[in-house]
Amino acid sequence: MTEPFHLQAKAIRKSFGGVEVLHGVDLDAVGGTVLALLGENGAGKSTLVRILAGDHAPDSGEIVVNGEAHAVLDPIGARTLGVRMIFQELSDAPALTVAENISLGRWPGRRGIVRWREVRERAVRALDELGVDIDPAAPVATLRIGERQAVEIARAISDKARCLILDEPTAALSAQEVERLFLAVRRLRERGTAIVYITHRLDEVVQIADRVEVLRDGAVVLEREVAGTSRAELVTAMVGRAVGEVARPDDAGIDGTAAPVLSFSGAASDGAFADIDLDVRGGEVVALYGKLGSGTAEVAESAFGLRALTAGDCTLKGAPHAPGAPHEAIAAGVGLVPADRQREGTFMVRSVAENLSVPSWGRIARKGLLRRASEARAYKRWHDELSIRSRNDPEQLIGTLSGGNQQKVVLGRWLERDSDVLVLIEPTRGVDVGARMEIYRVIRRLAREGMGVLVATSDYEEVVQLADRAAVMARGRIVGDLDGDAITTERLTELAGG
Amino acid sequence: MTDPDVLSGGAVAAPSAPPPATPTARRRQVPETAALIFVLLALGVFFSLRSEFFLNYDNFVNILTAAAVTGIIAAPATMLLIAGQFDLSVGSAAAFCGAVLASLALHNDIYFSVFVAVLAGIGIGMANGFLVTVVGINALITTLGTLAVFRGLTQVITDGQTTSIDRFSGLGTSRPLFDIPLPVFIFAGVALAFWFLSRYTVFGRSMYAIGANPAAARLNGIRSKRVIFLGFVLSGLCVAIGGLILASQLGAASPQAANGLELSVVTAVILGGASLAGGRGSILGTMLGLLIIGTLNNGLVLLNVSSFWQTVAQGALLIAAVSFDQLRIRLTTR
Repeated sequence: MTEPFHLQAKAIRKSFGGVEVLHGVDLDAVGGTVLALLGENGAGKSTLVRILAGDHAPDSGEIVVNGEAHAVLDPIGARTLGVRMIFQELSDAPALTVAENISLGRWPGRRGIVRWREVRERAVRALDELGVDIDPAAPVATLRIGERQAVEIARAISDKARCLILDEPTAALSAQEVERLFLAVRRLRERGTAIVYITHRLDEVVQIADRVEVLRDGAVVLEREVAGTSRAELVTAMVGRAVGEVARPDDAGIDGTAAPVLSFSGAASDGAFADIDLDVRGGEVVALYGKLGSGTAEVAESAFGLRALTAGDCTLKGAPHAPGAPHEAIAAGVGLVPADRQREGTFMVRSVAENLSVPSWGRIARKGLLRRASEARAYKRWHDELSIRSRNDPEQLIGTLSGGNQQKVVLGRWLERDSDVLVLIEPTRGVDVGARMEIYRVIRRLAREGMGVLVATSDYEEVVQLADRAAVMARGRIVGDLDGDAITTERLTELAGG
Repeated sequence: MTDPDVLSGGAVAAPSAPPPATPTARRRQVPETAALIFVLLALGVFFSLRSEFFLNYDNFVNILTAAAVTGIIAAPATMLLIAGQFDLSVGSAAAFCGAVLASLALHNDIYFSVFVAVLAGIGIGMANGFLVTVVGINALITTLGTLAVFRGLTQVITDGQTTSIDRFSGLGTSRPLFDIPLPVFIFAGVALAFWFLSRYTVFGRSMYAIGANPAAARLNGIRSKRVIFLGFVLSGLCVAIGGLILASQLGAASPQAANGLELSVVTAVILGGASLAGGRGSILGTMLGLLIIGTLNNGLVLLNVSSFWQTVAQGALLIAAVSFDQLRIRLTTR
């Protein structure tokens, strides 16, 4: 290889529906380096990289590849130039094998007859280059999510990708899978591939990237070498204001002698967790921290009737608590904020007011009759209290709110329902930094009002910023308890890793 | 990112809200039924100009009478589709109820026979509901199966012959008020009941929630299986009423009664704005959809278009309505 591959975007502008979302943005991706593209949701990252991948046409500006300028790229043109994007939602064919997926759409062969041997060899070569150990003959559906992602990357490599765009690739990965992904990314960098790595996780920027570019509101606000750049600088650039970095909540510390509202003793569920002893008191936020797959989400689910205990006990306000289904858990006074807001939390095509009152319908209704006025009252009450940013119209569809505001509505549900215990699973996954802080404030408020809050999370910064107490889980067991200011990112990662 | 008039509302959407202008926000300014009313009026104007027989009271009563049975069955079907469910068995189930009535009425009291026929309808609804919620078969397949089963059983009961029913013409043909047949009043009553059910009851709202997001409905304590089961039972009940009216109008139970009724029902419901993706739709919309189909059929008859072409028009209308729904889903999920 002579010249390193060089992809430049110059003064890219792009509008949607009359609103400009990119105001003349530059980007430089150089072969053999990793560029982290950082920014909150809606900052324009996705639009920018979609333009690079030929998915959108820019309104003005140009894309220069190795000195050759292009005003517009279409997906095929971008591919021919070696620019490939790996989307968050994988675009593989689950029923086909790994090898078939890698050759998908460019079958080797003549006159429409596929040469299967070459399909297989191609796959072996690409997987080797990535340094991953995956059976080319396995159907993709049988792979883990990280492996499927690796197959997609292998497909790109095998198609001679020289610039690889990864859109928040670690969002759904476990810790080990992230390690493997990083190894693969480093290998590709050594081979001279240019990598654009989109993320909003700061620790990933430090771990993997050489350069970082921060987008905010459609403009580049920072662009420099990662070495010598502090996390605080990056956060400030992203959010546009200084944000106290992983500060402890200032209202932490509560009466530790009160009787617990939710309590596990020796609780176990087959294959998911065992020997769980955990108390949650009214008025406190207890975090259950562990890497993905450590069992934290499963413990949370068991309190909501989604999973049965096979040993040990669970009590709610002193009484045995063994809900067989969510409606029983809700009736007993437990609420749940699920991890996947879109799939399990919100009713996208229904109004904000309705989304806010769903679990309370049984209470609001008289003899099965439900008046919109009572829903509107619930809406009025929480709209201001939770500072939900909307058109302030109870009938507005929740799907038109931003992710963070949708999550506030989902939280508000359980305030309206007046639950005693709220269980949250990964409450800020996919929520940007600014909105995250607001959600933490709402969660702390719920606790101040006397609710017992249990947060199952794999985000240690979240634990530090949110919890009064924390239990750390690994492989289905609690491996450590932390209290108050003993909750630090260092202690959490140390315990969870062991 | 939002319309200027939206921004001036005071509270502002987060500046980071995703791109283009939100079609949902703009669409809300105009009621969704406005387009349907427009189409209905346009059809009315068109047929009035083309046929001197269209624009008169008796013809309007004809349109409503022809739509009554479909409407009685389309009301619960709307609720089911809102919850993401289908009932394709309505036509054959209606014929079955008529056949049960006719064969019992030969040797029994008419009231007893009616009672059993209604129970039969409810029973079919329960069977559909059981298969969908407890056994867990997709509603489309379940009711496609029961469609065949009950059409077959109807032929078994009637031995493939049209069986006449005596002393049962009142339900279908009496005209209690303004020279309007009783089925039209029943239709209005059923529509009103389901309109109320869909808007003001926990049951109705749960249907919307289940259709909008089944997983979230469960996690919010909605007992989806119960609600859907009840939806199918209501469908069975209305199918029985519709089947009895048909039998009464005909004075007989025909093994071919209500053949293809499911097509008319599904067309009306989807034309009325109920989304195949679930969570959206309204009784009012369905009723407008029904009137559009009714007016179209009536107008085509007046224009001497063969009834074969009416079937073609109805099928085309269904496809057009679904295409429109797809377009809307695509616009709103951007």
